Amino acid sequence: MTDLTADNYPMTDSIEPIAPAAGPGEGASAKKKLGRAFWICIGWLIAIVLLAILAPYLPIKDPRTNFTGKGNVGASKGPSMDHWFGTDKDARDVFSRTLHGARVSLTVGFVAIAFGMIVGGTLGILSGYFRGWWDRVVSFAFIVLLSFPALVLAIMLTALLDRKLFTIALILGVLAVAPVGRLARATTLQYADREFVMAARSLGANHRRIIIRELLPNVVIPMAALGLLGMAVAIVAEGGLAFLGLSVEKGITWGGMIQLGSESSRTLERAPWIAFFPIGVLFLTVFALNFAGDRLRSFFDVKETAL
Amino acid sequence: MRYWLQRIALAVLLLLSVSILTFGAMNVLGDPLFNILGPVAGDVSNPDSVRLIELAKKEYNLDKPLPVRYGIWLSEFVRGDMGVQFSTDGQPPVTDLIKERIPRSIMLLVMAQLMATLIAIPWALAAASRAERPVDRISTATTFLLVALPNFALAIILKYILGIKLQWLPLTFRAQDPFDSRVWQMVMPALTIALPAAAIYQRLLRTDLITTLQEDFILMARSKGVSRRRVLFRHALRPSLFSFITVVGLNTGALIGGSIVVETVFRIPGLGSSLVEAVLREDFPVVLAIVMIVATAFVMINLLVDVIYSIIDPRVRR
Repeated sequence: MTDLTADNYPMTDSIEPIAPAAGPGEGASAKKKLGRAFWICIGWLIAIVLLAILAPYLPIKDPRTNFTGKGNVGASKGPSMDHWFGTDKDARDVFSRTLHGARVSLTVGFVAIAFGMIVGGTLGILSGYFRGWWDRVVSFAFIVLLSFPALVLAIMLTALLDRKLFTIALILGVLAVAPVGRLARATTLQYADREFVMAARSLGANHRRIIIRELLPNVVIPMAALGLLGMAVAIVAEGGLAFLGLSVEKGITWGGMIQLGSESSRTLERAPWIAFFPIGVLFLTVFALNFAGDRLRSFFDVKETAL
Repeated sequence: MRYWLQRIALAVLLLLSVSILTFGAMNVLGDPLFNILGPVAGDVSNPDSVRLIELAKKEYNLDKPLPVRYGIWLSEFVRGDMGVQFSTDGQPPVTDLIKERIPRSIMLLVMAQLMATLIAIPWALAAASRAERPVDRISTATTFLLVALPNFALAIILKYILGIKLQWLPLTFRAQDPFDSRVWQMVMPALTIALPAAAIYQRLLRTDLITTLQEDFILMARSKGVSRRRVLFRHALRPSLFSFITVVGLNTGALIGGSIVVETVFRIPGLGSSLVEAVLREDFPVVLAIVMIVATAFVMINLLVDVIYSIIDPRVRR
């Protein structure tokens, strides 16, 4: 029974014969490579995550202290050896704030997509596997969720609920449920009638075992690729909310920093570093997530149409 | 015919569920009285305030149970009356507010889509005819960069470069200016929405064109002596335009979300910025009206794209 996992099974209905014992991942890795750019992106992501986690313990300036020098109270200064990214108009260190801002952005991004994958994935797999009325209800719920633009829904929910870190993350997580769920359902439908599932069933495996041992390993791979893309979307969405003044109330966020640096064109003209350093870091992070997700998706050959 | 009836029925059902969810969530989670009366709403010990609260409840139908209120709202909404704002004077009515603001949002979206199309088509043609050569590689990398740039960040970059450093375009929108200068003021916001959209369209059209360029009829046309340029425009572009139209249509819905941020950044008093303001004020009728308009537009666009597609490609009709 334990050998009946999908990886050990050839996919007999594909046109090209695939050698037995070569799963989709292994077969693909012989032809395609993830490439150096992919690893650079992963490197950046690991670095920013580490910096975000370690930010309170690193020997950097305090993000909330006003570094007012003698004479010029409250004026922002350009990048220098002392303040690498300069200081904002309250004379706070932009570099340190950017690292601290990463904590909110990355937490929201991660919690949101984790929630979306767990809830959406479960609903999607169950409806793809059991079909029937349950599938109809879930699919309709997904369509309803997808029929308002995500940001409109997020704005509405933030208005009704509080603006704590966890609430914002969950709101964005709810938004991720429908896209992730649809992918999980579509992938499950692809696999639910395959021979290895039938074999497991005829050997007496119950639903629970089939879903966990046979279907889940196949559905998780495309979902992981979508997960990286989804995390990028969630980080951008949080930035957008923060920019509109609707994200985490107390705390440093990239969106809030960018908003602060650009609310008047005078600030933007005189002290462009206040907005542009957070923009740069946000951009690199989103780009790395997008690029890595895209590479993984083509590496595992996830069909675009399934998304 | 049956198929279309089903589709329309589904669309109506969808909009009803959206409105029930929105209406229910707002009335369960928020306290509308506070926004109408201000601090008086919480002052239940004072008999004067209690009387005011009772009056307001009657006036805004808040004394009736939730399903009844939903029914009243729905019947008025269908007849084009979106109710009164939840503010101290309730003026202007939500319908008037929406009427004033919706043209700006529509203009922004139309301008953005036009720009995106005008950028994407030549860009895709140029890239596809030089597929996998350096020019094409660079252009593909550029699309990646544009898509990864959040719209508020792009807005600020454009503001800085085009507005502050080069001073080519005006920085903000002024509703009282004459029409032609408002169009000019809208160029930069529209460009902010258009650039990432153009990148998405370019990617799709490029892939499509490359596939089409490998077809036999292209080879045939080339061997008849048709020039490269003519083959590209006349023979290759036309079949690819069908899927292009679909994507542009469907993407309009996605752009509505992005336009909220862009309207706020450039201070355009359109639907999106009204939504943000109304949310911050907890002005529920306005939020509800805008959410319904957006959802209706979204569903209608999807339906329309399907109709157009089935006219172009009869195989879709079952």
